[in-house]
Amino acid sequence: MAMQLAKLAPLVGALFIPLGSVHAASCCGGGSASSLIMAKSSQRMVAASLDIEHYDGLWRDDGHWVPDPTGSDLNQYRLNLGYAQRLADRWQASLNLPYAVNANHYGGVSSDTQGFGDASLNVLYETFDDITCVYQVNTIEDLKPAVYLGLGLTLPTGISPYDDVSDNFDITGRGFYRVDGSLQVEKTVFPWNAAFGYTYGRYLERPVNREYGRYVEPYHKRLGDRRTTMLSFGRSFHGANFSTWTATLAYSDMSEDHARIDGHLDPTTGLQKRSYAFTLAWANVSKSWVLKGTWSHAPRSDDWGRNFPTTDVLTLGVTHVL
Amino acid sequence: MSSKWFSLVCLALLLGGCDVQDDLLPSGSDERPTVSIGTVGIEPGQIAADFTLSDSLGNPFTLSDQLAGGAQAADAVVLYFTMWCPICLGHSDHLLWEIEPRFRARGTVRYVLVDYVSGSVVATRSSEVANGYSGSIFTTLADSHQALFRQFDAAMGTTIVIAADGTIWMNEDYKDGSKLSAMLDGLLP
Repeated sequence: MAMQLAKLAPLVGALFIPLGSVHAASCCGGGSASSLIMAKSSQRMVAASLDIEHYDGLWRDDGHWVPDPTGSDLNQYRLNLGYAQRLADRWQASLNLPYAVNANHYGGVSSDTQGFGDASLNVLYETFDDITCVYQVNTIEDLKPAVYLGLGLTLPTGISPYDDVSDNFDITGRGFYRVDGSLQVEKTVFPWNAAFGYTYGRYLERPVNREYGRYVEPYHKRLGDRRTTMLSFGRSFHGANFSTWTATLAYSDMSEDHARIDGHLDPTTGLQKRSYAFTLAWANVSKSWVLKGTWSHAPRSDDWGRNFPTTDVLTLGVTHVL
Repeated sequence: MSSKWFSLVCLALLLGGCDVQDDLLPSGSDERPTVSIGTVGIEPGQIAADFTLSDSLGNPFTLSDQLAGGAQAADAVVLYFTMWCPICLGHSDHLLWEIEPRFRARGTVRYVLVDYVSGSVVATRSSEVANGYSGSIFTTLADSHQALFRQFDAAMGTTIVIAADGTIWMNEDYKDGSKLSAMLDGLLP
């Protein structure tokens, strides 16, 4: 039994912790990468995924949903590459780098641009020594979840409005460093699984002396603090040759406070997006390979977001434990 | 891959040739170009070149008509370049609900949305209506071929303030609207 559970353990991060499902608009940045979580028994892991994000309308500041301009077709494609490395029994680190392609067509203008997005570095601390997946709950101890504490740093490696760009169609990043603190709680009572995640991010203030390639009177800007909450439930099924299929339904809520310019609150900023996602994943018998597809959907309805584009994201990904 | 390789990848990202250094090590130095005051151009202190575009109802809108001596002379013209995105709408709502009421009693200001993405007068009108600006204080221009967008080297959110004598007082991102407010405060009677 212990051996079987040990084989299940690699699924924890790869299957149940959904990919980040909220991204900034290609008109306002985007290209953000999600963090990787590696199983307890793994030493190294590589990951690759392709996001296909389609924009369809937006939420006004009061939550009212409105369609995009007539004749528009707005998309961002992201290739995300990731690598995770175990540092110690309870510590792991990962690096994620997206490459974004913006393909935007409006009635009067078309634009296809590309470049690296904002990379992220993450360090994760596991609060447990033994795997927490169980087949049956016989004691209180069996209910103990896997708890991860994370620290992340987003690097402004993307193309931002403050670079030497001609307009917003070129943008693939937001231009700010961000420090994230995260809590992830996950429990598997095979075949069922539940996970909860909360991330609080603080952008660091930076000087700005250029907007869309034109030099302006210098000022200091800091984007608002970002909060992301995620809840997911999943069920696994045995497949052929002892492979595993897992279906997961997740809900996420991301919000960002008002930005500050020279210390003064910018009332035109702040945002929110709520969405849900369905993931279907396949893992081989050793769980060293995981293939998955995620469909993240944000309803085109009032009050599912605020001051943010409405998007659907199809993600096709693979992870491999080395 | 060893942890050494991992470190190298991180370092390469930080220092690599992705033209990312501008954001990794941002500069706060003032590098605005020196301009000749009173010449025709796009920088503050210069004179805006005249232009004519159709508004969302198909009527011609000519800048010189809005300036001193024109048929519809105003004390100031405010151009805001929009692509109807969330940031743009946040700005134009702020213009509508915060800035315009603040200066309503101080002369005449022509508030103009410049739609540079829709591509036609009909599409501009459709976006104007969909976003609730029909019948508002805004005149919405259809910059169907992005001529005005290029003329002012504009981008999403660019806000331009032109005084009655044609002098440009501001040409930069709207941000929180405080600079626009300061400009109008100094410009209006």
